[in-house]
Amino acid sequence: MMRQWGASACVGFVRACVVVGLSMLVPAVWALAVALWMWWGGGAWTWIAPFLWAGIGTFALSRPVCRTTRSLVATWTGVVIPAGYLRAAPVTRMSTGYWWNGFSYERTRHDALMDQRMRIWWRDPAVWRDLRFTAIAPLTAGVVAAVPPAGLVAAVLGFGTSWPLAGVLGLVVAVAAAPYAWRPAVPLAVRLLRPPPAAALAERVAELTSQRADTTLAQAAEIRRIERDLHDGAQARLVALGLSLATAEKLMRSDPDRAVALLREARAGAATSLNELRELVRGITPPVLNERGLVDAVRALALDSPLEATVDADVRLRLDPPIESAVYFGVAELMTNAVKHAHATRARISIAEDGTGIVVDVEDDGRGGAGVRPGGGLDGLRRRLAVFDGTLEVTSPAGGPTRVRMAVPCASL
Amino acid sequence: MRIVVAEDLYLLRDGLVRLVEAYGHEVVATATTGPETVEALLKWRPDVAVVDVRMPPAQSDEGLRAALAARREVPGLPVLILSQHVEQLYARELLADGAGGVGYLLKESVFDADQFIDALERVAGGGTAMDPAVIAKLLSSGSSTRRLGQLTEREHSVLGLMAEGLSNQAIGRRLFLSESAISKYTTSLFGKLGITDDDDSNRRVLAVLTYLNASSGP
Repeated sequence: MMRQWGASACVGFVRACVVVGLSMLVPAVWALAVALWMWWGGGAWTWIAPFLWAGIGTFALSRPVCRTTRSLVATWTGVVIPAGYLRAAPVTRMSTGYWWNGFSYERTRHDALMDQRMRIWWRDPAVWRDLRFTAIAPLTAGVVAAVPPAGLVAAVLGFGTSWPLAGVLGLVVAVAAAPYAWRPAVPLAVRLLRPPPAAALAERVAELTSQRADTTLAQAAEIRRIERDLHDGAQARLVALGLSLATAEKLMRSDPDRAVALLREARAGAATSLNELRELVRGITPPVLNERGLVDAVRALALDSPLEATVDADVRLRLDPPIESAVYFGVAELMTNAVKHAHATRARISIAEDGTGIVVDVEDDGRGGAGVRPGGGLDGLRRRLAVFDGTLEVTSPAGGPTRVRMAVPCASL
Repeated sequence: MRIVVAEDLYLLRDGLVRLVEAYGHEVVATATTGPETVEALLKWRPDVAVVDVRMPPAQSDEGLRAALAARREVPGLPVLILSQHVEQLYARELLADGAGGVGYLLKESVFDADQFIDALERVAGGGTAMDPAVIAKLLSSGSSTRRLGQLTEREHSVLGLMAEGLSNQAIGRRLFLSESAISKYTTSLFGKLGITDDDDSNRRVLAVLTYLNASSGP
């Protein structure tokens, strides 16, 4: 009991000191500014420079101070305070040669980035929350947390001089307050640093909007591709087929040999367009997926792969068709990557359910080094899974092996 | 031959019936759904049945399942499956019982009527008729490539054609070789694969496929 209390007093004392140090950082800058002003003679105009520096220092320090506070609160109490800083949109070069940063057009990339930083910084409510915290914390949590260190200082001074009573009093205060003095910093940080619920919702809305945009774009591109394939493939071939047949009909009596040759050509054309249509259909949705569901479709995929692939599936599940399709094409892409990029010879696929959804692992024995790069294939896969709130985890150290886990929550399980 | 045709699309069903009748065969029944197919197969016990994979009611793999179900009742009941796409997975399921009398071809194989009827007769006789694409995939997939690595190129192509269900004579015609040359190749490749040679060509084909099935299946 005693030992436990002693331990918590020691830990509390250290934490109180950390809180004091952290919250007093900005006031210390101001104190320095005042000191500098005094040193320069305290004139009517000499205060401007030191105070300007202190102002800049406050802005520069507020974010690191608040970041540290958040991470300390998380380590000490497990309470996670989301930061909620605005994220910068990618700076892209437009066809005009100018750079677009989400707010304005700039002549150079550097200008665009600077402008974006300023605007985000200025508009971000989280920046103002941080400033508010750095202003209020020293006067509240800082003062309370200062009690144990102050008590200790009093004790040292008291015993050092001829005031033992003050020394004893200081020690008692320091020890008694130590386990508790750091605690007010936690509710204060939670209250002042947490983004309002509306901000969390706004973030979710932004995420969903971008996902919807991705989906719409992907869908439109897919439909365009199908249209083009049909237009240049099957449609054109059917026209040619009709032409051949018409000509053959005409030649039937006058030149039977040429008619036969044309008919043979027409037959070959029909076979080719069937092949093309089959490939097209496979790209839209593999027939075996329709006929048998995900597990057998993945088995069929494994059989057709040049890899020596095994499939472990303990479930005969039928999911919602869009999810099945997304997961199937995900596995197909991972298998292709294993062959093309990782030069693997074996792959293991496992499909399981974990109570909340479906979990698919794809593992190969290739050379590894795969990663989710913006705009890359895995990033695309991640986005396609994100539409269903699914996730993609990739572990692929250089030298292999590559392990990829796709998890999609499903209501239909 | 007495034939059952199971196909849900009217135009195709009609075309198939006319085609086989043009070659002097008799269509004893037609079916348009999975359950109807099972019923017709078990009732008529045809010399061979031509069955589409995708049929009502669910438009999934009813035809295939009907064929498998009927063959469980009547082992070796000759069935030729026609489909818009060929899958190794289905081929393996069809061959799994090792009873022979199985065909699995793309629908456009009917474009070459002579070859199609030839395949149909082969299946009716207890042999096999497999789509070349399935066989090619079967021979090039995962573990079989390594196992078959010891075969020469010529032996490999002989094995492929044999697995499609062709006789030595037919293989010889395709490869422009004499029948005796082909039988020399088959003897040597069977030796390399450790399959005991056998006079019955259908059993040899099944032996090859079963062997591949066992060595590379998941």
